[in-house]
Amino acid sequence: MSVIDGPGAVTESLAGGGTPHGIGTSLPSADAPAKTQGTYPYAADLWAEGLLWAAVLRSPYPHARIVRIDTGEAAAMPGVRAVLTHEDVPGDAMHGRLVADRPVFAKDIVRHHGEPIAAVAADHPDTARLAAAAILVEYEVLEPVTDPEKAFAAEPLHPDGNLIRHIPLRFGDPDTVGEVIVEGLYRVGRQDPAPIGAEAGLAVPRPDGGVELYVASTDPHADRDIAAACFGLEADHVKVVVTGVPGAMGDREDSGIQLPLGLLALRTGCPVKFVATREESFLGHAHRHPTLLRYRHHADAEGRLVKVEAQILLDAGAYADASSDALAAAVAFAAGPYVVPHVFVEGWAVRTNNPPSGHVRGEGALQVCTAYEGQMDKLAAKLGLEPAEIRMRNVLATGDLLPTGQSVTCPAPVGELLKAVRDADLPPLPDGDDESQWLLPGGTSGAGEPGAVRRGVGYALGMVHVLGAEGTDEVSTATVRVHDGRATVICAAVETGQGFTTLARQIVQEVLGVEDVRVLPSDTDQPPAGPAARGRHTWVSGGAVERAAKMVRTQLLQPLAAKFGMSVELLTIADGKITSYDGVLSTTVAETLDGKELWATAQCRPHPTDRLDETGQGDAFVGLTFCAIRAVVDVDIELGAVRVVELAVAQDVGRVLNPRQLAARIEAGVTQGVGLALMEDLRAPRGIVKRPSLTGYALPTALDAPEVRIVKLVEERDVVAPFGAKAVSAVPVVTSPAAVAAAVRAATGRPISRLPIRPQAAIVKPPA
Amino acid sequence: MSTYAQQTAENVTLPTSLDEAVAALAAMPSAVPVAGGTDLMASVNAGLLRPAALVGLGRIAEIRGWQYADGAALLGAGLTHARMGRPDFAALIPALAAAARSAGPPQIRNAGTLGGNIVSAAPTGDALPVLAALEASVILAGPEADREIPVSHLLTGMDPLRPGELLAFVRIPLLHAPQTFLKATGRTGPGRAVASVALVVDPARRQVRCAVGAVAQVPLRPLEAEQWVAGLIDWDGERNLAPEACTAFGEYVAAACIPDQPGVELPPAAVQLRRTVAALSRRALGRALA
Ligand SMILES: Cc1cc2nc3c(=O)[nH]c(=O)nc-3n(C[C@H](O)[C@H](O)[C@H](O)COP(=O)(O)OP(=O)(O)OC[C@H]3O[C@@H](n4cnc5c(N)ncnc54)[C@H](O)[C@@H]3O)c2cc1C
Repeated sequence: MSVIDGPGAVTESLAGGGTPHGIGTSLPSADAPAKTQGTYPYAADLWAEGLLWAAVLRSPYPHARIVRIDTGEAAAMPGVRAVLTHEDVPGDAMHGRLVADRPVFAKDIVRHHGEPIAAVAADHPDTARLAAAAILVEYEVLEPVTDPEKAFAAEPLHPDGNLIRHIPLRFGDPDTVGEVIVEGLYRVGRQDPAPIGAEAGLAVPRPDGGVELYVASTDPHADRDIAAACFGLEADHVKVVVTGVPGAMGDREDSGIQLPLGLLALRTGCPVKFVATREESFLGHAHRHPTLLRYRHHADAEGRLVKVEAQILLDAGAYADASSDALAAAVAFAAGPYVVPHVFVEGWAVRTNNPPSGHVRGEGALQVCTAYEGQMDKLAAKLGLEPAEIRMRNVLATGDLLPTGQSVTCPAPVGELLKAVRDADLPPLPDGDDESQWLLPGGTSGAGEPGAVRRGVGYALGMVHVLGAEGTDEVSTATVRVHDGRATVICAAVETGQGFTTLARQIVQEVLGVEDVRVLPSDTDQPPAGPAARGRHTWVSGGAVERAAKMVRTQLLQPLAAKFGMSVELLTIADGKITSYDGVLSTTVAETLDGKELWATAQCRPHPTDRLDETGQGDAFVGLTFCAIRAVVDVDIELGAVRVVELAVAQDVGRVLNPRQLAARIEAGVTQGVGLALMEDLRAPRGIVKRPSLTGYALPTALDAPEVRIVKLVEERDVVAPFGAKAVSAVPVVTSPAAVAAAVRAATGRPISRLPIRPQAAIVKPPA
Repeated sequence: MSTYAQQTAENVTLPTSLDEAVAALAAMPSAVPVAGGTDLMASVNAGLLRPAALVGLGRIAEIRGWQYADGAALLGAGLTHARMGRPDFAALIPALAAAARSAGPPQIRNAGTLGGNIVSAAPTGDALPVLAALEASVILAGPEADREIPVSHLLTGMDPLRPGELLAFVRIPLLHAPQTFLKATGRTGPGRAVASVALVVDPARRQVRCAVGAVAQVPLRPLEAEQWVAGLIDWDGERNLAPEACTAFGEYVAAACIPDQPGVELPPAAVQLRRTVAALSRRALGRALA
């Protein structure tokens, strides 16, 4: 449940009559009815005549040498059509986003629990699974490297060594010392993106020797390129077709699903389907980087920050994946949305034999937020200031410098956000005479005792960059077609549930005045649009759609304008009608088209960025976005149970494009953050993933999710972004864990330096 | 060659009486009974179990409700958690109702049954400490004569279900006195117990009986602590206790259930668990005597 209040929070009433369309309205998602009725086709629902089923054999060890693989028995089983190992990869044996360090199938060494070793195709899923289990693998078990602090000195897990990246950020004078110094050690656990739908796919061989992969990819072109290279095919012989994506908080369908599928289809000549079990899903895909952070904050007597020193260690797991990006964000935002004249950070991402880490919303930025906000609370306590006050004295604003030397040119209304959450009304205490009806920490299980419950209020400010950083070529291409009074958008930007297709429809409605807009499904025959990540598609794909729509608009209006001797700018389109400023001309889009079709294709490519240099300096980010959250928690100080009562959110959004969708993104984001704050941690002692199931890995349910109150959406346009809008999904995820931790700190007086917060950390021991 | 042929059609029987169910099991000894399926089907889905045949218990009306027999309630094994959570049942056996209300999310409570909870005998089974504290017994129907055994004998494996036997009823003495069930899960949403405490006051026998769930394979009864606290209570008077006594009871129960190991320091997790059990026991007693 969310409540939106505050003047100017929303540009349009949610309950407005008529069919909303265009920018700023709560246009509903076109998929919503099918999704709620259960008819929306997800990847696991795919079917092809005569299909085979795949199963993947995964390593039971985090680190081992493969002595021998014998597939004989498995291959001889009735119903088995193919068994593949590293020997059967015709193209590149290794792949990876930045560093090609990940094998399709492990060859000599396995580097994490669950790493794919072989794949089977059979005529029944059980047969495939049994055959996979019948593959004989002889391992020589090796000591796993599981402590990232020991990874530096450990045997290298990769020829390049265990250090994936080191960023030493130097900003200001290292010798400056503040009057007040606080230190802290913080740890953030391993959050799983836990996409709620099964990870699945279907590969269909093509008569020309190519293959089509029907998968819930979030970056179809990148996946196609990796697949083609591993299959030894030209890129145009591999087509990735994006099917219904059942949730994506990061990347879906690790390569351990897509690549074996395609190889099996090519080998057998049959369609092959794969549906990952929940356990495989937990083992295979990338997780949030477990992180260790050491901080020292210096401030003057008034609580103004003087210097921040930090050491940040990201556990990347065995493969580089997106760790370099996560580290850049962690280092650049190490001090948070505060003005700090002197910042010194050492950041490392290292290889271990722990489960793989990668892109999960807000990577890097989230972990440091937990730490720098913990430090702000410590400073406040030491100086006797209110937590909100010390933050207010240090907030960043437009024109200030980031510790990377980049000047903040976009809106940065950090102080305004903080003020909004600080001044919002506090939620009432539980009331009513019947205490048994109160929802206390510990929930409905009856253990809660009002007398042992303490309420706490905490604040956090978070920031995150939008779009890929450090020189990533951020570009997207879109095509808009107008015909018979309606429009079609063709763009490979994947609808992951984040609402891109709704936004694309709204943009075309706004520019072309046509209400009926459809967005075609994405595939790699379309021009690339890049990954669905870091709020990219709102900006680059939204921008490309807008440009293409404007080109179509010009094509449509030019002849009219010429005929009437006025410029195109003097004509407006709304509700399918074209009118001139003076009302002399009035016609319809359909009439003007006269049976013709208009097409236009455009690209959006924001200004380029730089890689952080050897001292962590550079203009690495295209845009930034900020959020303030005030958390109110109730803690049972004897049992350590925490209930998040309310999160009040104020966010810098540039412009509200779709109020309802925006509220949903914020609710989803803060709830994911609450999960990380209180319960989500995929435990892997000695590299072995424990309890990889949704019973073992708790996710927030409706009872755990707090009341999310959006108290303010600051609509200060970002002039370089299309429509002035900022990405909205990541920053609430980044900020809410720190806010919950701050509130638990306030309730218990305990330090709270580790997420998720374990019950024992929130217990207040009675005075002895 | 295809392996499809090997997949035999699932053999499912749906008897409508206990006798039919017992007969169905006798006719097919490899068949497995299934009630709500919330435990069983999870094992099937995980590939841990491939029953050759199933005997569904959902249509046996006689075990879906309860009746009274000599100051006791005879509960059908097919009672769902949802049914036990309702106010009429809560008036009868409050602690079992509280346990049922806390057993998983609503979907699970609508399907999961008392019988399934007992036969699964998971350490975190929420009904189990309540049944232990109430000193319930179970009535088993089988090819031979029915038999009745204490629930603890079944749970500890001292006297297990025999082949072809079904759990038919659970006999619970009606105490007409306060009873509580408290469960710590570490979260607000539904979750398995980290520890749970069931506590019942039995004025007729002048006893306080307590059982702690989830800390061991089976519910634990801290008998000495029970006796100690029963000795403090003025059974003919107000029946209330000073807060200090409740606190001491909590510590006593916790130390009994998570005992010190001679010569070794208790690991932090055990210290934490002990603290949780102490808080739950103290609260349970305090509420029962409030
Ligand atoms: C998501 C989830 C959350 C859960 N949370 C909890 C929780 O918080 N607390 C809790 O206690 N449990 C919980 N459970 C476990 C489960 O729901 C309960 O144990 C439930 O009571 C089992 O009952 P059932 O009828 O579904 O048993 P079934 O799955 O049908 O059967 C379980 C076992 O008992 C046998 N059996 C069932 N009835 C009989 C009978 N009459 N005679 C002989 N054998 C029988 C079956 O053969 C099987 O071996 C949870 C389960 C899930 C899936």
